[in-house]
Amino acid sequence: MTTLASTATIALRPTRRRGWALTAVAFGTAVLFYTQLQRLAAFLTYDLAGLARGSRLSSAVEFFVFEVPKVLLLLTAVVFAVGVLRSFFTPERARQLLAGRREASGNVLAAIFGIATPFCSCSAVPLFIGFVTAGIPLGVTFSFLISAPMVNEVALVLLFGLFGWRVAALYLGTGLAIAIVAGWVIGRLKLERHVEPWVWQVQSGSGTTAAQKTWTDRLTDGRAAIREIVGKVWLYVVIGIAVGAGIHGYVPTNFMASFMGRDAWWAVPLAVLLGVPMYSNAAGIIPVVQALLGKGAALGTVLAFMMSVIALSLPEMIILRKVLRPALIATFVAVVAAGILAVGYLFNAVM
Amino acid sequence: MPPQRKIEVLGPGCTRCKETFRVVQHVVEQEGLDVELVKDESIERMMALGLLATPGVVIDGKVVVSGRIPKAEEVRRLLGIA
Repeated sequence: MTTLASTATIALRPTRRRGWALTAVAFGTAVLFYTQLQRLAAFLTYDLAGLARGSRLSSAVEFFVFEVPKVLLLLTAVVFAVGVLRSFFTPERARQLLAGRREASGNVLAAIFGIATPFCSCSAVPLFIGFVTAGIPLGVTFSFLISAPMVNEVALVLLFGLFGWRVAALYLGTGLAIAIVAGWVIGRLKLERHVEPWVWQVQSGSGTTAAQKTWTDRLTDGRAAIREIVGKVWLYVVIGIAVGAGIHGYVPTNFMASFMGRDAWWAVPLAVLLGVPMYSNAAGIIPVVQALLGKGAALGTVLAFMMSVIALSLPEMIILRKVLRPALIATFVAVVAAGILAVGYLFNAVM
Repeated sequence: MPPQRKIEVLGPGCTRCKETFRVVQHVVEQEGLDVELVKDESIERMMALGLLATPGVVIDGKVVVSGRIPKAEEVRRLLGIA
């Protein structure tokens, strides 16, 4: 679907009407395909391949055939929508809007901007410097830095596609809560002296305002986002779903409940600890998460693991070492880990 | 003769920044432009221009692309050759 649209747009000049028409056609086709997926998966597994119903293999295969196109379609649609949304936001804009804000309200705003602003780990350093030299409080900057990688559209889409809107909304809400509270706590701890001294000496310009974009530009941004994100991530999704399919078909139900169930109090801290040295994009992790859940692992434990993997990323810590002293990095990790722990226990208690 | 234009590609050395440089370099070579093309990985230059999202493309001291890899046709357009 995506290749067809891309090839077509290369051949035609990108006039405004064509842009909208193509988007509409692609969307319509996707919706149609999406609604027929369950039927298609069943057909392919049982009628075409002739597998017996109820067997482990057919169970795994049907899961795989159903989930792969479903998740990829959802992902493409949301990445596109968010790509368009993000054309309205840049880190430079966020910095302008946050400059001079006090704590608390600043923390909330920063966390929200973090979701809307595109973020690459390599931007962490210039972003950090730019924010603090613009007079944005340390805690507020951290709220931004926590929410940006953790609450991203890929994670939300996959959660929504595989677990429904409630889980996705909860992830969004708790992710934001952690970003706001952790950032606020770090602000309260007055750790400014643990920022590398040279950072405060940096003279930074105010940044240029981007030229006005037209809607055609924004749609192009959306399509570029698809190529960039889905293009990078689709293989992880497929592999993750394959692993998930294997677990779905072959691991006995409730196998996980014994050590990942809600009664094992040490499961949540263990999950968080396991997640710290691991780094993965959301796409690779979530399909596995689904299969684990399906086999009886507690929701809180699994979500804590996922957040820990994404939010406490070792590569990013290493990059931030350029501007933060170890004590501050350690505090950052500890506060965020504590937040994730709390969320994990809360989910286990409530769900 | 007009002064030689200067194009800088800013970024801390990650793959996206390298890719951006390749795209710009490709356009410069293909169009046979007489420009000074520089890759700058220093934080100082980024901060001086207020660039927060890398990679960034700067033409004659003005940030024209930030936070993403530009396409070749966009680079041409920005250089006024589209």
